[in-house]
Amino acid sequence: MTDPLLAADDVSVRFGGIVALDAVDLAVPERSIVGLVGPNGAGKTTLFAVLSGLQHPGRGRVRLSGIDVTRATPQRRARLGLARTFQRLELFTELTVRQHLVVARRVREGRDRSLLRDAAGLGRRPSPGEDAAVDSLLELLELRDVASLPVSMIPLGTGRIVELARALATEPRVVLLDEPTSGLDVHETRQVGAALRSARSERGVAFVLVEHDVELVLELCDDVTVLDFGRVIAHGPPPSIRADAAVQAAYLGTPTDGAVTR
Amino acid sequence: MPGYVLAGLVLGSIYAVSALGLVLTYSSSRVVNFAHGVTAYAVAVFYHWLNHEQGWSILPSAAVSLLVFAPALGLFLWAVLFRRLTHAPPTTRFLATVGLWVALPAAVRLVFPFSQGEINAPQGLAKLPASVFHLSALDVSINANQIAVLAGAVVVVVGMTALLRATPIGLATRASVDSPRSAEVSGINTTLVTAGSWMVGTALAGLAGILLTPILGLADLEFTLLLVVSLAAAVVGRLTSLPLTFAGALVIGLIQGISVDFLPAHGVLTTGFRPSVPFVVMLLCLLLYQGLGRERFEVDLRAGPVEREAPAPPPPRGWRAAVGPGIVAVALFSVPLWLNGFWIGVVSQGVALAVLFLTFTIVTGEGGMLSLVQATLAGIGGLITAALATHSSIFGWQVPNPFSSSVGWPLGPAILAGALVAVPVGLLVASLSLRLGDVYLALATLAFALLVEQLVFARHEFDQFGAGIQLGRPMLLGIDFNDRTSFFVLLAAVFCVVALVAVNLRRATTGLVLAAMRSSEQAAATTGVSVVRAKLLAFAASSFVAGLGGALFAITIGRASPNSFNVLIGIVWLAIVATWGVRSVVGALVAGLLFAVVPQLVAEHLPASWADVPTLLFGLGAIGLAREPRGIIFTLVNATRRARGGRGPLALTQPPAR
Repeated sequence: MTDPLLAADDVSVRFGGIVALDAVDLAVPERSIVGLVGPNGAGKTTLFAVLSGLQHPGRGRVRLSGIDVTRATPQRRARLGLARTFQRLELFTELTVRQHLVVARRVREGRDRSLLRDAAGLGRRPSPGEDAAVDSLLELLELRDVASLPVSMIPLGTGRIVELARALATEPRVVLLDEPTSGLDVHETRQVGAALRSARSERGVAFVLVEHDVELVLELCDDVTVLDFGRVIAHGPPPSIRADAAVQAAYLGTPTDGAVTR
Repeated sequence: MPGYVLAGLVLGSIYAVSALGLVLTYSSSRVVNFAHGVTAYAVAVFYHWLNHEQGWSILPSAAVSLLVFAPALGLFLWAVLFRRLTHAPPTTRFLATVGLWVALPAAVRLVFPFSQGEINAPQGLAKLPASVFHLSALDVSINANQIAVLAGAVVVVVGMTALLRATPIGLATRASVDSPRSAEVSGINTTLVTAGSWMVGTALAGLAGILLTPILGLADLEFTLLLVVSLAAAVVGRLTSLPLTFAGALVIGLIQGISVDFLPAHGVLTTGFRPSVPFVVMLLCLLLYQGLGRERFEVDLRAGPVEREAPAPPPPRGWRAAVGPGIVAVALFSVPLWLNGFWIGVVSQGVALAVLFLTFTIVTGEGGMLSLVQATLAGIGGLITAALATHSSIFGWQVPNPFSSSVGWPLGPAILAGALVAVPVGLLVASLSLRLGDVYLALATLAFALLVEQLVFARHEFDQFGAGIQLGRPMLLGIDFNDRTSFFVLLAAVFCVVALVAVNLRRATTGLVLAAMRSSEQAAATTGVSVVRAKLLAFAASSFVAGLGGALFAITIGRASPNSFNVLIGIVWLAIVATWGVRSVVGALVAGLLFAVVPQLVAEHLPASWADVPTLLFGLGAIGLAREPRGIIFTLVNATRRARGGRGPLALTQPPAR
């Protein structure tokens, strides 16, 4: 078996007395779309924080392209090809939509380190190929019309798509998507699905998808992991997940619980 | 020994009363009131005015001050200012309270004029001369003032506990503090609760102020120290826990009191120890809490949505982009043509300050970091330059002089050295910024600035009995800048170069990266931005500019004196820069010119009792930020662009079809 592109091995996180993640394993092969589902509070967002370096795990390891990045900073992981979006939008409120993509691309190119060039006034020109690359991303995600608007003026749904565009602009190998379609209408949801497929086929990007739209997950993903109370309770291709008793119990409650409130 | 414990306990009790007020107002409105110390000052001055000037006796004076004046002041400030700040961006929240910090003492001095002599021995809540009692069981003497303080603290603790724990008002308050929105939907009038807490908080500040005056006098610097200690105690209580805050304040007071027993009677260690206690306590707590909870210290975790700023119209392109800066540059360089010698000197000070003010443009405007240490960094630049230029020795260490055979360095290299020395100090502060967000950084930098002031600036080699070190005008690259006009041109050129570099950085990738970091450090980091590097760079650059500006300012006024760079002056500087636009280099220029010119105009044309008017105006300007956080220059430029082109974002709310 080849080494997966991104992997969490035996990851545990505790907040005080609460076990947010308990010995969780996750493997993301190249060019795959992996679904991560589970009820609210199952630990999905915490796992994303661990994968992207915003939260250090109490135990376990994170590997990216075969390199142990458990202790690496978020920006080091980004430079190794990991990008993410946020459930609660984290846009750069003072920048335009286009500038989001430009800054992400330039950081990827290392232009954020050319301080002297910038100070001398030579840092304003786009890099070679930058305009074309940014334009094609704007085209892919249908963002051309709002490209020159500051993100404070665009609606929430468009903001989610800008987050996806910013993530793709870093030319990542794997993108973590935290509820990318929440607050989106049917058309926008379809557009996101199409963009993910096209990014995978044309750019070879892999995705990890946290999503409440179960139909979308089962339709898009090659592989699904189900979390409940910080533990992996099921793992496999979509059809087997759909049939899994433990998953149904987690979402609907078991008859022995005597309640279906969760 | 028991005597020192008692003194510490008394000091700690005063701190505790003040700190409780600070925490109370913070918890109800999420605004850290940097003007807390000066509200204490205002109430203390009012009390003294009743008690001393109007001849009222102690009890009615205290009752009117604490039960009428202080609550009214708190209610007024809440209604006109703090109410609007709860949902403002952190920078605006901070700068507006800084504005109040500047304006309030000036307003108080205008309304209640005192001569300094009368304020030297103010009376507290006990009659002067204070009667002394000897407690033979503890072998300690206690005077009536100390009894008043301890009694006051006990009354406050019992009263607050009873109010919060045993009344419906207390229940409503605690609910509003825990979750304003849930409290609101449960039918609690959170507006009333918040207004009430500002009234009580101001009364507590006032009580602390009145109790403090017999010990430390009625000078506003002492009230800044009171503020810093209250902030440190509030940090011990994580800005929310009243009991922990109270304990923290007592501990700080006790350490300061008992330390007197162990320290030598004179020297830097003694003068430096007292201000360093709150700083160390604050820093330890911030680091300890982070280690425990791994939480990022953000002030507005539970605040409501941050108001969105309306976006600016796009800047003009091509030759139009050069018109505005061109006009400013021509106007600046033509100053010697239409002003006489004296006024060229005044305007020179303004331009030197403008260079210094660009430090705020970089660290707060671009970096988005709230720093109160910039004036101190400028002071370091100025003092090191002066020390090198006159006797080539710093801290008693003889610095070799590779440039000339005379004792002092030539001024050019000395200026450069001064600016460079400020950089590592700035980076030391920056290391705090990596861990502390927003308002906690402001607290830590304020404490650090006071520490440097007491430990370094107070040294005789820099202070020279308040006179500072004399400095002449420089000779650079073989050109003599000794006459006023040529030195003015030099200053203007330096300003233009530094401003150009700042603008270049803002418009290039560096500016995009900093803008990204200001909005969301998490998103910036996961996009690949090294937040650590960006913050350190912003601090390093701003420290260099502060040092450079400090050196130039010192040369312009002919001496480098610690008094020119003290913390309170730094606050006024920040307030006026923020008023005109903390992101605008033109704002920095206008701010510098006004700071130099307006007091001069007032001194020439208005009676001496109006001396505080400029400061009042500068402070009021920053308070006005609650309406437009980006400052006056932004508003003007925006209005011009809209009027001329109509291509502003207002026309863009409908996305153009393409």
